[in-house]
Amino acid sequence: MELVNIFEGLTYLKPEITLGIGLLLIVLLDLFINKNKNVLHFISLAIILITGYFVLEQSDVSKAFLPISTQTDRNFGMLTLDAFGIYFKILVLLGSILLVFFSITSAEVKSVNNRLGEYYALILGMLLGMMLMISASDLIMVYLSIELVSLSSYVLAGFTKLRSRSSEAALKYLLYGGTASGIMLFGISLLFGITGNTNLYEIHKVLISAQVNSLTFSTAIVMIFTGMAYKISAAPFHFWTPDVYEGAPISITAYLSVASKAAGFALLIRFVKTVFVMFSEQNGDWNLIPIFDWQTFIIVISILTMTLGNFTALWQNNLKRLLAYSSIAHAGYLLLGLTVLSDKGILAILIYFTFYLIMNLGAFYIVMLIADKTGTEDITKLKGLGHSSPFLGTALTIFLISLVGLPPTAGFIGKFYIFVSLLDSKMILVAVIALLNTVVSLYYYIKVLKYIYLVKGDKIETIPINYSNYIVIITLLIPTILFGIYFTPIVNLANKCVLLLNNL
Amino acid sequence: MNIYDIIFYLFAGITIISGFLVVSVKNIVHAAFYLLFTLFGIAGLYVLLGADFIAIVQIMVYVGGILILILFGVMLTNKIVDVEIKSESFQVIPAIIFIGILMGGLVFLMVTTNWENNELIIPLTTTKILGNIILTDYILIFELLGILLLIALIGAATIARKDKV
Repeated sequence: MELVNIFEGLTYLKPEITLGIGLLLIVLLDLFINKNKNVLHFISLAIILITGYFVLEQSDVSKAFLPISTQTDRNFGMLTLDAFGIYFKILVLLGSILLVFFSITSAEVKSVNNRLGEYYALILGMLLGMMLMISASDLIMVYLSIELVSLSSYVLAGFTKLRSRSSEAALKYLLYGGTASGIMLFGISLLFGITGNTNLYEIHKVLISAQVNSLTFSTAIVMIFTGMAYKISAAPFHFWTPDVYEGAPISITAYLSVASKAAGFALLIRFVKTVFVMFSEQNGDWNLIPIFDWQTFIIVISILTMTLGNFTALWQNNLKRLLAYSSIAHAGYLLLGLTVLSDKGILAILIYFTFYLIMNLGAFYIVMLIADKTGTEDITKLKGLGHSSPFLGTALTIFLISLVGLPPTAGFIGKFYIFVSLLDSKMILVAVIALLNTVVSLYYYIKVLKYIYLVKGDKIETIPINYSNYIVIITLLIPTILFGIYFTPIVNLANKCVLLLNNL
Repeated sequence: MNIYDIIFYLFAGITIISGFLVVSVKNIVHAAFYLLFTLFGIAGLYVLLGADFIAIVQIMVYVGGILILILFGVMLTNKIVDVEIKSESFQVIPAIIFIGILMGGLVFLMVTTNWENNELIIPLTTTKILGNIILTDYILIFELLGILLLIALIGAATIARKDKV
């Protein structure tokens, strides 16, 4: 009976179950721990590590589980486990581990120390949502997991609610997010109306065998894409990003800019590959069902995203806003990897995202340290940082250079793979536009460097850093430089994880 | 046009007209009352579709629960806050144009599309079947909804509670 499927599914659900139990544990412990709330940091860290262990344990499994029904031939599951999903899950978990370290040192989180239990309950809920988003292969699951991530991030964005900016961020996030998921739900209902199914594998089958109305179908796809584009903050659904990133506590901003983006990308790639790809050729190129022109669509969106992101960043004087626009631009570069519609593009995305996670978190961490001391993220506060705190100045410089994509940093390797995949598919014009965008982005990153080294501050403030800060910065700094020179391990790993489970 | 169609248009009419009034009237208490009719109309549509359980839940939860809470919220906070609670509309003409185009497009899609048609025999009562499906095929969704609601609860408590400065 169906129960057999459920029991079988449970064995594959260990990471998610761990997170669920961990969430409840945090809520309960929060009641009993009154004196030293700091212990919650370490309990959450332990929960995330155990989850990571269970995820790694599944690394050789590749299957869809928890089928909708066993009575008919519809044997496809709610969730899919494959190497691709596990790669992204590990990325998200790495981001979460770093988030815990961020939170331990962040002054903003310290100021709400008595609400630490709620903070971590929401973060674990968000993490659970992202894990499910990465492996969702049913539209109901897709929608619910996005909602879970969104709900937790709305509250987290406004967590330090004593600041009005923070509340404003939360409210804006809620309004934009509600609209986007409403549109997505409408798209899902249209898609269900056409195909009579919510399962991605089933929809794929219907599309192959039956003729569907292409106009309605395209409308449904664009609507569903809206929900995902909002999560990865691709234009024209990026308007919430700068305000939310500026208003939210920095640790949460950093987390939103990498983890929820990773989940969004994983979902988008899985959606495209599962529903549309008929088969992959020997060299990795995909053969799509010719019903929706993904290539043109994504090219337009990605060029729009990176151009808007880069050009608006030129005028920013607030470091958090600047990094927000830079993260929009990076979403544009990452989308380029999808435009080639081949496994090489996915490989490029996996590599790029790994490096993006490290360098972006690094940049945010240093901005956090500076903002904690000076109380503002204004770019002028960086004046003379290179002289007063040489270590912080140098580290920020390296992260920013890596974000531009200059050698010998990891960012260069990431961009390199994206461009190679573009050139392989003869998309020279798109590659040139992306390259010009990189040149534009050089300007605003260099502007920050100018303040660090060339402009003398009137009174030089030293940013105090302790050993734990050093350790976090160095653990992020070493891979940023190391992977710029010796990147074979990551490429090999990504190569193994590039294949998605499709066409059951 | 048979009796089924007439009932459908009646409920659809109630839903749309009162839905329009919800967003267009200035007095927020009136808007809340019009919302009652919108939710009621939707419950009627559910009954027509054979989803009796969902219709009852719609009446009990939305009309009986949430709406009463909204009314209480509006009436109780009215006097506390100095700001007069009124809903106003801005940019009416661009909005009408945009929504008009959107609606035209969607209606066009609705009319021209070949919708997937499943001949369904509407069961006499859906409660038992629903319960079975929720606890077997959709068990993961069901559990996830539980966590989603817990997160919503924690979030609401976090936002609502008073912070000691």
